[in-house]
Amino acid sequence: MALALTAQDAERFLFAEARLLDERRFEEWEALFTDDAVYWMPIDPDQDPLRAVAIIYDDRKRLHERVYRLTKTPVLDQNPPSRTVHFVSNVEVVDGAGGQEAIVHCRQLIAETRPGGPGQEGLNSPRLFAARCEYRLREVDEAWRIALKKVVLLTSDEPQYNLSFIP
Amino acid sequence: MVVREKALQSYADLVADDPREFRVHGSLYTDPQVFAAEMERIFERTWLYVAHESELPAPGDYKTVVIGTQPLILSHHEDGRIYCLYNRCRHRGAVVCRQERGHSNFFRCHYHNWVYANNGDLIGMSQSTGYPDDFDRSGYGLVQAPRLENYRGLLFVNLSEEGPDFAEHIAPVRRYIDYWLGRSPAEEVEVIVPPQRYEYPGNWKLQAENGYDGYHGNYVHLSWQRVLQLSKEATVEETQQYRQSGAARGLANGHGLLERPGSLNPNSSWTARMMYRYPEYAEAMRARFSDEHLMEISARRNILVFPNLYLFDTHFRVIVPTAVDRTEVQLYVYALKGVPDAINEGRFRGHERFFGPAGFGTPDDIEIFTEIQTGVQARGHEWNLMTRGQHRERVEDGEWVGHTTDEAPQRSLYRYWRQMMAGG
Repeated sequence: MALALTAQDAERFLFAEARLLDERRFEEWEALFTDDAVYWMPIDPDQDPLRAVAIIYDDRKRLHERVYRLTKTPVLDQNPPSRTVHFVSNVEVVDGAGGQEAIVHCRQLIAETRPGGPGQEGLNSPRLFAARCEYRLREVDEAWRIALKKVVLLTSDEPQYNLSFIP
Repeated sequence: MVVREKALQSYADLVADDPREFRVHGSLYTDPQVFAAEMERIFERTWLYVAHESELPAPGDYKTVVIGTQPLILSHHEDGRIYCLYNRCRHRGAVVCRQERGHSNFFRCHYHNWVYANNGDLIGMSQSTGYPDDFDRSGYGLVQAPRLENYRGLLFVNLSEEGPDFAEHIAPVRRYIDYWLGRSPAEEVEVIVPPQRYEYPGNWKLQAENGYDGYHGNYVHLSWQRVLQLSKEATVEETQQYRQSGAARGLANGHGLLERPGSLNPNSSWTARMMYRYPEYAEAMRARFSDEHLMEISARRNILVFPNLYLFDTHFRVIVPTAVDRTEVQLYVYALKGVPDAINEGRFRGHERFFGPAGFGTPDDIEIFTEIQTGVQARGHEWNLMTRGQHRERVEDGEWVGHTTDEAPQRSLYRYWRQMMAGG
């Protein structure tokens, strides 16, 4: 059966997602997710999320809360807000054969900083996050949507300073 | 530098236990000499939480930690006991364990292959003919930490032979630990590993001061309150009203807690709500505890066991100071034993929602820690006020009890800090 999702399709989709995050268009980003989506950043990627604790394990409702908190509330930990640059590479369509779902793997390098006044602890300190990402994409109304986004940080089990932006 | 000279005169002067204006000096957060003295006089002299026994369930299981400046191994030996050993080969000083946790039949130094049993005994040396026949291996085992205690599964180490014994140290907070365990009808918990971890560019005491601070919630966590309102769990007004109830308690020996009142009404406490929702949980709890005891168990408490452990509803919080202006915090979420799986799953997801580096609450607290760490570098007036509620607190059974927004627990922390730091 022919591939339903080409590598080029996958790249185009992931680049667009990265652009929405970098431009802080979080509500549009949220709309990329299916109603049953999971956004998951594990500490140990091999653990069963129901029996373990993750850094993030958002169902669709929790994801909406995350975006709402960032966009609609006086959120202290994003004042001043993060600037990010998401690099997406090593895109592979692992399983895109037939059906309406495809598994896509990629690598991401996320650069983040929060600009602020001189001498402010925690600000003006750019950080780099390398991650292995797994997406399960689903075709909904002739567009690809995210049913699962799993982000495994290189340092997933090491201490993180605030991850109050959306990695 | 003025601050440093002052610190050298007497660390005790850095806490002003003034009945009208309790205050602490800014160098507590910024002076590397104060930090070095804290490691020596507090972290390497009192009782420090190191692990829960469920992290080391089987013989051969181990965990490594750093307490103060000291690298340690907690090791479950085949005799069933847990040993706390200094992580240092007796030959040329390399560590004998590099992993944070795992399972091994022995510890082997990579340098010259000296091998130690899980209780620290030296059991092998490579090319041993290089040592005389009467070389007494029994004198060259890994050194044991002076004191180790297991209180209902919580392991505490003391790197000093001197000072109060564990029972004396824990006495003021013991009953609160017991109530906290009581949300499990088996009165047991099981720690989930690996823990969540975060770090921040700030002093360790900022985390210690904040965990039972009942004053900041309406300001620092307003965005959280708005999320609760969005999900129709509580309006901002209801949350802010809730934050007025309960008490802040300063205990002896540096311990303290923030407390929300207990209730058997499902609308008013988590425990009662779970008992209402899961009849098998209610049955197990009622079989074990009286209503009076259930009232205490259902009170929600954030408990600081001085100096490095917080007990929360969902997690053990371990504070690991790494420098005067750098702190790591580990959140060990635990499962309650003897409860329906759904209760624990709900607790895990509820934890992630507020706590950890990407939660909806923790990052706001971390933000404040960095703002304080920046601010206390300013001189001008060099004292932080911890006076709130001094005029209205009362002493009951050796506890300083204040309004839920009062700084009674913080004052307890610093009274004991002062006492330990003064003790040269």
